[in-house]
Amino acid sequence: MALAALARRAGAIGSLVVLVVAWEAAARSGVVTPFLLPPLSVVLARVGEDAMSGELAINLGLTLYRALTGFAIAAVAGVALGILMTRRPLVRWFFDPIVSVGFPMPKIAFLPVFMLWLGLYDFSKISMAVFNAIFPVITATMAAAEGVDRQLVWSARSLGASERQLLREIILPAALPQILTGLQVALPISMIVMIVTEMLMGGQGLGGAMIAASRFADSPGVFAGIIEIALAGLCLVKAMTMLRRKLLRWHQEAQEPTTV
Amino acid sequence: MSDPAHIVIERVSHEYRPARGRPVLALDNVSLSVQDREFLALLGPSGCGKSTLLYLVGGFLPVEQGRILVDERPIAGPGPDRGIVFQHFALFPWKTVIQNVLYGLEKQDLAREERLRRARQFIELVGLAGFEDSYPSQLSGGMKQRAAIARTLAIDPRVLLMDEPFGALDAQTRSLMQAELLGIWQRSRKTVIFVTHDVHEAVFLAERIAVMSARPGRIKEIVETHFDKDDPDLTRTREFVETVDHVWNLVRAEAIQAQRSGAA
Repeated sequence: MALAALARRAGAIGSLVVLVVAWEAAARSGVVTPFLLPPLSVVLARVGEDAMSGELAINLGLTLYRALTGFAIAAVAGVALGILMTRRPLVRWFFDPIVSVGFPMPKIAFLPVFMLWLGLYDFSKISMAVFNAIFPVITATMAAAEGVDRQLVWSARSLGASERQLLREIILPAALPQILTGLQVALPISMIVMIVTEMLMGGQGLGGAMIAASRFADSPGVFAGIIEIALAGLCLVKAMTMLRRKLLRWHQEAQEPTTV
Repeated sequence: MSDPAHIVIERVSHEYRPARGRPVLALDNVSLSVQDREFLALLGPSGCGKSTLLYLVGGFLPVEQGRILVDERPIAGPGPDRGIVFQHFALFPWKTVIQNVLYGLEKQDLAREERLRRARQFIELVGLAGFEDSYPSQLSGGMKQRAAIARTLAIDPRVLLMDEPFGALDAQTRSLMQAELLGIWQRSRKTVIFVTHDVHEAVFLAERIAVMSARPGRIKEIVETHFDKDDPDLTRTREFVETVDHVWNLVRAEAIQAQRSGAA
């Protein structure tokens, strides 16, 4: 039944619907001032205005460009470093303690240092995203590459694979599910870090626009930024999940329904 | 028949040295030779080192004490002359059945059409026609093992190393697979080393059974069987039943000892 399916769909996002209705009702009830909480309808109208004026495209485009560039660099460098650390004892000796200290640390604390050394522009902002997003990629890649079933490697060798072919043909594909999990952690991190970095470094971009709106006491502008960031983040995470499903078509999980 | 033995294992010992704890002697001074085209079973209780011996012949573990010769040459690492089938299949899960079978063929100097032809031929041989494009996660245990056997047979290794290949299968599938393996061996006449802890399986399949002691693994006795493998009532003949009894008595003492020492 199409109706039942529709009801199930609506049920799945029921909590969001409740939240949205509560927002609108609270804002219109007069309990809070529109300055503290502008009605959702006003905020959405503002998102629409931003979209029409082209401001949204510029800010969103800049934020996505920086966050995704940082994410891509972190992904490539993190996988490469993770693999190297499992294969070269010297590389491991050098980076292992650094990763152990750096992974749990709030790296956003380095922001003033990045501003001081690298300035306030794209290079500095993207570097900040790379610095934050690379750690989960490194640790996931290391764990994945070390956890590859040795009998897969043995099978490949006895089927005629050379030591050199193992990395690309066996280790990387076998480690892919866990590496993708690391990337799925790194993607929202680079997005979060980019917003915060833009807020603190200023300039254009969603984070910068929100801080500017806040300085002008423009509440609808601030809340519009939150909605825009939430939607952009949701789309990115969904895209990543789709990519995972496409890449892991062979995996058992791809044959079962997933929630995220 | 005066050919030198195909595989010669001479005074091989092997020690595992875990990162923490004392080293464990898995094999103690094992000598054994396997004739060309012979079907040899390595039989023993869990933890007796029979798989270790197989991995040494496969070249997956380094031979540190003693030596192992294949065709009179010491082995240097794994190679396509010695194919292996593992208990848990070790199929590449990101490849379909036919891609798995093609993997070894791609390492050989064959034309594309020839590779595809051979892959299809071996998939058909193990009864997986129609499942070429399935991923391993979509197959049952028995089908996975068939795919793994096809992958190994496709590269036409002279030696087939089998590490409890039917141990993970249910009883019906196991006995079907045993009969099929026997048929394949009779047709292709490869040298087979078959590791198992199943006495019946060893007596049914092998021409010679090397019974191993509990850890540290030694060869306790070698039992020769000369059965007519084509006899459909083979497993009910007195000779067969007596051999199973004899081998079982040899293994039982070792299994009890292995259990006491906590190796089972």
